[in-house]
Amino acid sequence: MLDDLLQRLRSKDRLALARVLTLISRDEQLAEIRKAVGPKPDATPVIALTGNAGVGKSTLVGKLAEHLRAQHKTVAVLACDPESPLTGGALLGDRVRMPSRPDDDGLYIRSLAAASGHQAVAEHVDLMIRVLSAFGFDVILLETVGAGQGDTAVRSLADVVVVLLQPESGDELQWEKAGLLEIADVVVIHKSDLPGAERLQSQVRELLSLPGCRQIAVLPVSSKKNEGFVELWQAIVAAPRRDGPLEPAAQFLLRRAQQVLADRLLDRAGNVGPVVDRWKRHELDEEQAADELLHRLIE
Amino acid sequence: MNQNPQLRIVLAKVGLDGHDRGVKIITRGLRDAGFHVIYPGLWQSPEAVVRTVADEDADWLGISLLSGTHLTLVPRIMELLKQAGLAHVGVLVGGIIPEADIPKLAALGVARVFGPGTPLPDIVDFLRSQGSRTHA
Repeated sequence: MLDDLLQRLRSKDRLALARVLTLISRDEQLAEIRKAVGPKPDATPVIALTGNAGVGKSTLVGKLAEHLRAQHKTVAVLACDPESPLTGGALLGDRVRMPSRPDDDGLYIRSLAAASGHQAVAEHVDLMIRVLSAFGFDVILLETVGAGQGDTAVRSLADVVVVLLQPESGDELQWEKAGLLEIADVVVIHKSDLPGAERLQSQVRELLSLPGCRQIAVLPVSSKKNEGFVELWQAIVAAPRRDGPLEPAAQFLLRRAQQVLADRLLDRAGNVGPVVDRWKRHELDEEQAADELLHRLIE
Repeated sequence: MNQNPQLRIVLAKVGLDGHDRGVKIITRGLRDAGFHVIYPGLWQSPEAVVRTVADEDADWLGISLLSGTHLTLVPRIMELLKQAGLAHVGVLVGGIIPEADIPKLAALGVARVFGPGTPLPDIVDFLRSQGSRTHA
């Protein structure tokens, strides 16, 4: 049955795409799907959009998608909303702000629930991105739940991270705090039709142009007035790729190896009880206990 | 393997019907009962609803209608679902539906009609008893 599904996926069956993404989100058949789709081609750009709740991520993603469709680029959107840690339920409402184009096969929008405390995106988004790029979409837009801790994950998933800010959401000290701006490749001053946008823009520019900072574009965008999208896309395309010490493919494989290792260790977690007990009795400190565990698991 | 995957349900307001208080209450109730609820907003066309159901791989579609247009819009949506290869998706209708029209909707393949005053647990219990339409 999975073979049939993957065959349909290869022949660009949209329902099969939707079902494969469901399987991935439910943690099912991951190995088989990974094998079937192969690595993500470097040519498919993944753009992550992040920022605090209410800053206009969904609206901007929707407008950007329309802008790209007007240029005949096909677009897939993965829109994440939070899942309740208590009930597992989620309200996935990003589609409200996105274009409704029922006849347009060049736009695919999928809502995803992101488990709380995990990351700003749903689990296994990396594999979903591979599936979407294998399906042939030209651009993948990844909308995060919000900003804050965990967004480093977004940085490793996306080629370009766009951080959205809006006027009247804090003084310049807010932006000095670690986290949000550090992950940005492009900064958008969203709702630039509102008063205070220019001031915010110059504050952020000043902050980012300190000696030693990377060159980061800071752009005003107004979804309401549909302004700034040409410049935004140009900035995204022009954003320097942050390769770091390892090329992206190597980083990807290393992360994968980490996951495999973690899974295998978990499989063997049965014989760790004695170590845990000794730690509880304070015979070992945390460092020693972790070290001991690792030895037992690897043997 | 996830033992208890969340059911995905699209809740839709179709056509010229701006009364969304009811559907928002259902949205919240189902969310709190552990469902993944996809809400695409007001004034959806039947085509847009079906595209949403397809792309979101939903188990269920709940249509909220308070405009008296159910015998026009529901048949259209059921037909489009079939054409799109989505006959497996369960369909619920909620809102102002005259008693006499309920059998007509059932004959079109609507699984249940929930009128005003339906206690939320009834809807939750019904959906849970049906399970996943896509991954049985």
